Amino acid sequence: MITARALRTPIGLQLVVAAFLAVWVVAAMFPLLWTAVMSFRVPLDALSSDPLVVLLGPATRASAMGISWLDLLLEVAAVVVVFRITSRVMRPMAVQYAPFGYVPLGWAQAAISCLGLGAIMLLVVVPMLARSLDTALASVPIIGQLATPAIGITLEHYRAVWITHQFYHNFENSLIITTGVVTVSLTVGTLAGYGLARSGGRMAFWILMLALVFRALPHSVLVTGYLPMFLSSRELLAPLWAAPVIGTVMHWFSAAPPTLYGQPWAIIIVLVSINQPFTIWMMRSFFDGIPTELDEAARVDGCTHFEAFWRAIIPVMWPGVITTGLFSFLLAYNDYLVTSLLLDAQSQTMVPAISQFLNRDTSSADQIEAIAAAVSITAPLFFLVMAFQRQIVSGLTAGAVKG
Amino acid sequence: MKKTLATALFALLMSSTAHASCSFQNTVPLKSLTAAFDAWKAVTATMAECGNVRSELDQDFRTKQPAAFAANPSLYHIGGVSNGTLVPLMNGGTIRPLDALVAKYGQDLQPNQLIKVDGKIMSVAMDVNDQHLMYRTDILQELGIAVPTTWDEVLDAAAKIKASGKVAYPLGGTFKPGFDLGLDFTNLFLGFGGQFTKADNTPSINSPAGLKTLEMLKKIAAYMDPEYLVSDSTFVQKQFQQGKIAIANLWATRAAALDDPKESQVVGKIGLAAAPAAVKGGKPATTLWWDGIVIAKNITDAEADAAFRVAIAGMGESTLKAAPAAAVWLIKGYTPTKYAAGAVASANGGAPPYPSSTVYGLVASAVGDGAADFLTGKKTAEKTLADIEAAYLVKAKEQGLVK
Amino acid sequence: MSIFIALPLIGVFIESFYSTQPVFETVDVQSCTPGFTGQTCTTETKSRPRFDANGAPIVATSFIGVQAYRDLLQPDAVVRAFGPDGGGLWALLSIDFYAALRFTVTFTLITLPLVIGFGLVVALAVNSVTRKLRGLVIFAALLPFIITPVIGALSIRWLFIGDGILTAAIRAIFNSNISMFAQGWTIELLMLTYRVWHVAPFAFVVFYAGLQTVDQDTLESAIVDGASRWERLRCVIVPHLMPLIVFVALIHLMDSYRVFEEVVGFSSQAHRISLQFLTFNFLTPDQTGNRAITRAAASSMLTMVGIVVLLVPLITHAWRTQRGRR
Repeated sequence: MITARALRTPIGLQLVVAAFLAVWVVAAMFPLLWTAVMSFRVPLDALSSDPLVVLLGPATRASAMGISWLDLLLEVAAVVVVFRITSRVMRPMAVQYAPFGYVPLGWAQAAISCLGLGAIMLLVVVPMLARSLDTALASVPIIGQLATPAIGITLEHYRAVWITHQFYHNFENSLIITTGVVTVSLTVGTLAGYGLARSGGRMAFWILMLALVFRALPHSVLVTGYLPMFLSSRELLAPLWAAPVIGTVMHWFSAAPPTLYGQPWAIIIVLVSINQPFTIWMMRSFFDGIPTELDEAARVDGCTHFEAFWRAIIPVMWPGVITTGLFSFLLAYNDYLVTSLLLDAQSQTMVPAISQFLNRDTSSADQIEAIAAAVSITAPLFFLVMAFQRQIVSGLTAGAVKG
Repeated sequence: MKKTLATALFALLMSSTAHASCSFQNTVPLKSLTAAFDAWKAVTATMAECGNVRSELDQDFRTKQPAAFAANPSLYHIGGVSNGTLVPLMNGGTIRPLDALVAKYGQDLQPNQLIKVDGKIMSVAMDVNDQHLMYRTDILQELGIAVPTTWDEVLDAAAKIKASGKVAYPLGGTFKPGFDLGLDFTNLFLGFGGQFTKADNTPSINSPAGLKTLEMLKKIAAYMDPEYLVSDSTFVQKQFQQGKIAIANLWATRAAALDDPKESQVVGKIGLAAAPAAVKGGKPATTLWWDGIVIAKNITDAEADAAFRVAIAGMGESTLKAAPAAAVWLIKGYTPTKYAAGAVASANGGAPPYPSSTVYGLVASAVGDGAADFLTGKKTAEKTLADIEAAYLVKAKEQGLVK
Repeated sequence: MSIFIALPLIGVFIESFYSTQPVFETVDVQSCTPGFTGQTCTTETKSRPRFDANGAPIVATSFIGVQAYRDLLQPDAVVRAFGPDGGGLWALLSIDFYAALRFTVTFTLITLPLVIGFGLVVALAVNSVTRKLRGLVIFAALLPFIITPVIGALSIRWLFIGDGILTAAIRAIFNSNISMFAQGWTIELLMLTYRVWHVAPFAFVVFYAGLQTVDQDTLESAIVDGASRWERLRCVIVPHLMPLIVFVALIHLMDSYRVFEEVVGFSSQAHRISLQFLTFNFLTPDQTGNRAITRAAASSMLTMVGIVVLLVPLITHAWRTQRGRR
């Protein structure tokens, strides 16, 4: 095997690579981890310019609660174990126990149960275990040092954010908007992408180019277009409500035309418009990668156009859908510009609501609350990467990036 | 250390449980949008006691209120305003006259709380506020500096403090571009005897007073933390609390926070005085504000009734009892605390009320956005003022105020 | 797509030529404000909007031609800037629109090679790491890309603002008294760093995915031919990745042209603004509660022209290959 030897990296280069990656990983994680650490400290510790104080939190330990090095070690070990187990178990679980034999549902079920079990394990079982271990070891000479509280931790800021300031309202709004955006843009994106990939005419080319330009459009341009309409939608929509047939239908939904400004579901339209070009583009390149023979074979077997799509294409398109869906999710979940301009303070999603925390920032505690809110927003994303990391890479490999 | 923290914690618990009670039980779901400083925290806490009230506290309320109140039905019932932020709501015609409600429920209100525009009561004020001088008594005493009464004396004092090296930066100030910087400019500009506009609404900012104001701002900035362009009220408050600055012109509503042992390291070392004058023998270079409530127009009369009662309850005796030092209250039964000294001195010195008019709103926007260019050295003073005038003219023409 | 995107676009285009404003009247208004002892009532001549019977302000819409564009582009000021002792480029860059344009363009052009370079290097590095570690490294490297941009920017801002721990570290190491948020160039540096930190992982994932499909036969024959590591990279791997590099460059071009979150996250508006922030600023109500919709529309249109100019070479290129394919 000449090639294997030639491909092997010399030790010097290996070291350089390892060092580079280590630096990169630290740079990638540091700001986020540091922010997370700050959110568990009382203001006096969190805002200290001495890194050790931030890390150990002496004032926090004095006023709230402390955990020992042993606890920390146990918790970290537990996180690693839980992560490894879930990453092994998820796929078989999803496939084997899929309700009605429908795999996507199986994935959802597996994800929810893994998340639930993992949370119970990490938040309840392990801390309890650690506590009892601490008391057991406290009297042992050297190990006892490790078992006494050393690091301060407080959850008061999270309590303030989620309970006192009712952050769950914002969470709900985020949920509505992201679900809506992902569903609508995937449905439209899949159909349009499939159509464009299979027609390939001059028309399709120009539609794609248009999508490209729209993709490049600064979001503020669209918001400029939507904002005046949203503010005066009551007057603009009034004729619809007054019209003979449509009016009756509309009255089923609400007695009077709504003001769209400040309505989370109305934002879905705007975000889908922003997102749609990209979804169509990605799904098109993805379908391009699926050989035409596949649906032709299905057509030969006597399927209609739609049946061919349903039977032959849908089963193989999941990697592409997941990748595209993930990007749509990120766009909707992360948006600041659109949501901050078209929603008002009480109907806001989590991201613009952050600025509300920063804006009510009149004491140091408020600032740490803003940090806790930021960490709360980040946590779901964290799990998302963990769960879908492989799909992102494979989805991109499978064709979405060819275009 | 442990003991003081424990007492602080105890005090915190007590303060959050010792809620003022509301005199009646509210059954109509209500929402309010106000600023977020301590006075509003106290008022909204009492309002919440009445039941069914959701309060949004947001320092960015001035940009959110107009659209939210213009919606039909209005997204909020109660709004917190000040003389500067009443104008947009008046111009939009989105708040209702309160004469009937005051006659019905306002027995406990004092006549000077009623804000009348053109004979109609549009708002009910709860406190008076201004930016005035706050200083570290210990530092001034040690260095033998008399309490400055003009900005030139402030600069002399700053030079001495800087030479002594007692604090990192002698001065603090709300220099964040936008509202904060605009207000600082206004205070000094009026102090130098400037007139913003002529009778036909054309600007006269590019004047000797304007030049003197810019020069003075730059001289002050030289003694401030070099990051002064991100410095808003909270930033200055924290600088004070952490013992980093010795003198600042800051809002009266922030004074009590500097003496709060939970956050401040300079408890008992803060002195208050009238705002310094721009010229020797002149009036204090500051403007008087009031904060108060308005009731939305686009709500039902029953809702308006409930909203007004809740708002009045929030501005009642119980709030005064719970937070006597949070502001210079106008509430019946208020006796000035030591934190009111600065505001009273400024008012007695003849500080003018903040100019609240459409024209001035445009001037303030232009000044707030433009003045930073001189401080950063991007433009000369003359060019900065000329550009501010140009920016104002564009807006004024757009709105039809200048032909 | 055409309804929800094209219609608003046409709307914006039309809006940029019309101005809607309240009708003002000049009247004597008596207003009373509180003092400590009693009320101070003053009568002033003020401009205030007129209201209709329902109490809503009366507005009038009028055609103003290209006035909004003139207000933005300030052609007179540009001519003056390049005239005798006009100050040249500096004077030009003190006009908001050109300052925003300058920042947006340099921001895009500086981050582009950095993002692609770092993405490529990280992808190659990860690809040479043993399979066991890869999952963990990919996970860590992906995080900055997934993170909400505003929050990512804030988390970096919190490290640097005031006496933030990294600023403190820099001061200790270089023994200087630097403040990262005190002057434009340091803020701009932070913004550039943040953007590379945020987007390089995307480039990395795409390139990494591409590396999995490198033709092993070609690679082996290159080795047999005695090609060095560098030559293999240059002649086999990079050409294979070329379409992906173009793809990433394209996406990055579009995304960084609409840079916005950095301005908010780092509150850099006193020093640096971007084109999209300019529009955002017009759309935010000013102290009289008015949104400058006309100028927002005009700046939107100009921003759009910019992106089309940026994309034209790409579109014509795509058009040629499309025709070639037939």
